[in-house]
Amino acid sequence: MADMDLKEISRMIQEIEDAAKGLIDKAQGIQAILRNADRILASAKMLKINVSDLVS
Amino acid sequence: MAIFTDSDRFWNPLLETLPREKLRELQIRKFRRIMKWAHDHSKFHRQLYDKAGVEPGDIKTMEDISRVPKVEKSMMRGIQKKEPYPYGDMLCVPLEEITAFRQTSGTTGQPVYQPDTWQDWEWWAEAWAYILYAQGYRRSDRVFIPFGYNIFVAFWAGHYGAEKLGCEVVPGGVLNTEARILKMQELKATATMATPTYILGMADTARKKLGLDPAKDLNIQRITCAGEPGASIPATKKRMEEAWGARVYDHIGATEIGAWSYECLEQPGGLHVNEGLFLVEIEDVETGEIIEEPNRQGKMVITAFDRIAQPCIRFDSKDIIEWHEQDCACGRTFRMIKGGVVGRADDITKVKGVLLAPTAIEEVVRGLPELGDEYEVVVTKKGDTDDISLKVELQPGAEGLREEVLGKLSDQLRLKTNLRYNISFHAYGSLPRYDVKAKRFKDLRKAH
Repeated sequence: MADMDLKEISRMIQEIEDAAKGLIDKAQGIQAILRNADRILASAKMLKINVSDLVS
Repeated sequence: MAIFTDSDRFWNPLLETLPREKLRELQIRKFRRIMKWAHDHSKFHRQLYDKAGVEPGDIKTMEDISRVPKVEKSMMRGIQKKEPYPYGDMLCVPLEEITAFRQTSGTTGQPVYQPDTWQDWEWWAEAWAYILYAQGYRRSDRVFIPFGYNIFVAFWAGHYGAEKLGCEVVPGGVLNTEARILKMQELKATATMATPTYILGMADTARKKLGLDPAKDLNIQRITCAGEPGASIPATKKRMEEAWGARVYDHIGATEIGAWSYECLEQPGGLHVNEGLFLVEIEDVETGEIIEEPNRQGKMVITAFDRIAQPCIRFDSKDIIEWHEQDCACGRTFRMIKGGVVGRADDITKVKGVLLAPTAIEEVVRGLPELGDEYEVVVTKKGDTDDISLKVELQPGAEGLREEVLGKLSDQLRLKTNLRYNISFHAYGSLPRYDVKAKRFKDLRKAH
């Protein structure tokens, strides 16, 4: 397995989380955006558990 | 940061091969985080910690963790069915965040309700992905789940874990046993999950009712067990592996905890604790001292680091476990528990003054090929004396061996458990059969 830049991966995961939260902020109550963004956040959390928690 | 690991062998090599000291640091950090979450969001936890005079910020070492008050199932029962209904004030999120309801089976009393958010459900599936990947499941697997999908979490999470991993999942919900076997055969399913009782029961049904030999006529290559200790009892594991011609792996989980432990491909006589997601402490039953050394049994106290709706923090599971003395050849740095859960503090009981774990009886019964898979143990009180009876079935064709089997069974039971039993033989097929969790040990002394 090649070297992994965990800090860079962690930064990318944070971008996913920030983007999903941004969608929620701009959703104006549209459920199709809110609920799907919420699911993205749950998946982003699993990435954080698997990677980001190791570098924080 | 350079990490050199083998991504083919591990679901997440970053966590599963993390050096022990780093793992410990991570666990302490994650404990502090979930404790703070619960303290900030649940009245129950805040009161519990305030009363004990501990705060999340106090947590800097494992010793600090051991001073955090434990939560018992009876406390959860006391809270539930109150507002916010039906979970009570252990709930850490608004009710509208809950996307799944499950409850415990109620084996030890009133069922406990378990709310989960979508994130919690993702976490359940994540924990199962660790299990299944470690047991050789890959995207090419077709996984048949012969489980009556209902309010018990059991194989729901296995289903979603297998999906997450990329397997093709066949939900064998309301089909009867014969239909499930035939569907497994038709689809050439490569893997399945069930309790040991049901794995043995399906094999029996396949042979007796369908004339099929699962080891030859089906394509099952790996089986994951849950719900009972059988897959960690060598004699029961052997029976299942021979019946199906497949490798059988154990896993341990619980509704109010999560899927916290798994056997890997090495089948090392123990199960890895998923220490990236859980903290397992083993506590001496008598003194409460935390046991770090191997080969000393104690009661498990467990924390799930990332479960948010109804956190599981220092939960007194009453499961009796012990640390394994060996490292595993698989390369995981996660510690192992030896032989799975060897009993429950509730079940390990004194009979005639001797500590008895029902799993020891199963090991003996299933180790005798002349006996069927089913058995029943009943403890009663006759006067001032405990009486322990064991009902077994002879395999068809073994009826003439009754005396010989009786001698072997009595000797081995005495050797293994230091007790004498009133043994009775019953017609094959006459003892109760179970589809999910079996209740083969009955202590009726309190009823006398």
